[in-house]
Amino acid sequence: MMDALLSWRPSSWLEWLLLYILPGAVMAIFILFIAWRDRPTEFVRVITRLLSKETSLVDRLKEFLIYCFAISCVLLGWPGFMIYYYRHRIDEKANQAWQALPDFDCAPEYLVSQVNPIDAEIASYVVDPLGAVPPLPFGHLNAGWVNFLSDMTDDTDEMWSFYIPKGGKTGKYQFETTSETRGYAMVRDGKILAEFITERD
Amino acid sequence: MTAQVSEKLIYGGNKISLFTNPLSLYMKYSGIRFVSPHTANWRGYVGTWEILEHEGVERLYLVALSAHKSYEEVIGLSDVFPGYDKVFAHWFTGQLRCPQGAQLEYRHMGYGSVYEYDLLMDFKQGVLIEKHARHNQVPKKKEEKDYPSFLRRGS
Repeated sequence: MMDALLSWRPSSWLEWLLLYILPGAVMAIFILFIAWRDRPTEFVRVITRLLSKETSLVDRLKEFLIYCFAISCVLLGWPGFMIYYYRHRIDEKANQAWQALPDFDCAPEYLVSQVNPIDAEIASYVVDPLGAVPPLPFGHLNAGWVNFLSDMTDDTDEMWSFYIPKGGKTGKYQFETTSETRGYAMVRDGKILAEFITERD
Repeated sequence: MTAQVSEKLIYGGNKISLFTNPLSLYMKYSGIRFVSPHTANWRGYVGTWEILEHEGVERLYLVALSAHKSYEEVIGLSDVFPGYDKVFAHWFTGQLRCPQGAQLEYRHMGYGSVYEYDLLMDFKQGVLIEKHARHNQVPKKKEEKDYPSFLRRGS
């Protein structure tokens, strides 16, 4: 039986056609199975029936014809569907990778100069005549500065100051800033890995 | 998005609405998160700000805070900034917008409503550097043709 199946070769155009539509048939069965599995529950069917107008024989015939047309498309156009599915998977993976990227305001074009963290800290103390700022580096933003420093774990990490002019495009969605933005960025191998904004609106 | 409850600004002895959130950068780094009590206050707090003058320099201070730690529990400035009765907003560089006069158009989104005037104050690291007023016009009502064809009704 197996030998006969393996030694079979199509001899007519009809057999070639059947061989061609075989993967399409498998795909159509799979799609119909998914549609059956995700069918609306009895409750949804009852509600839909109550809310919509009564289904006529013509409507049922139309639905049947649509199903026939869709299955014919799958049977004959399965290579196209396969390409679409493959490209969709690639796009989806690329989108997931993009979503996972950190969203920083700072971009390489906004880096100004490399700075020493100690120098940055010395210059950061805020003087307020009314004494409404703690005597800590970057005043009330000290917690953010401490977190930023704790991210600098690699010897090759560099700290750069950055400046974004008003209207500069920032972040993954390239929104325009509504004010000037200044701060520090952690750069490793030319990539921005963290940022600490010191002034913004 | 629902129109949002504004911050408050004490200026010239009056308490006026402030359509800017100067506390947002502090919130980003403080690790503190407030709970939204309703859809008109997604940020979960309302701050009262004051511009205080010292030796000719005017600075922006947070002088009161009403923040929702939970839906029921409301905390104040001294809970968020222990030991301070006012907080200098040294991180704030940008523009404060205070709407003035009659409301010309209500917009059901953020601080989108348009008023007769906007009092605009520019700050650099919490210090007031410039202020001016802007006279607003009643926004032109959009007509069907002003929308792209795919957004038009009946297309």
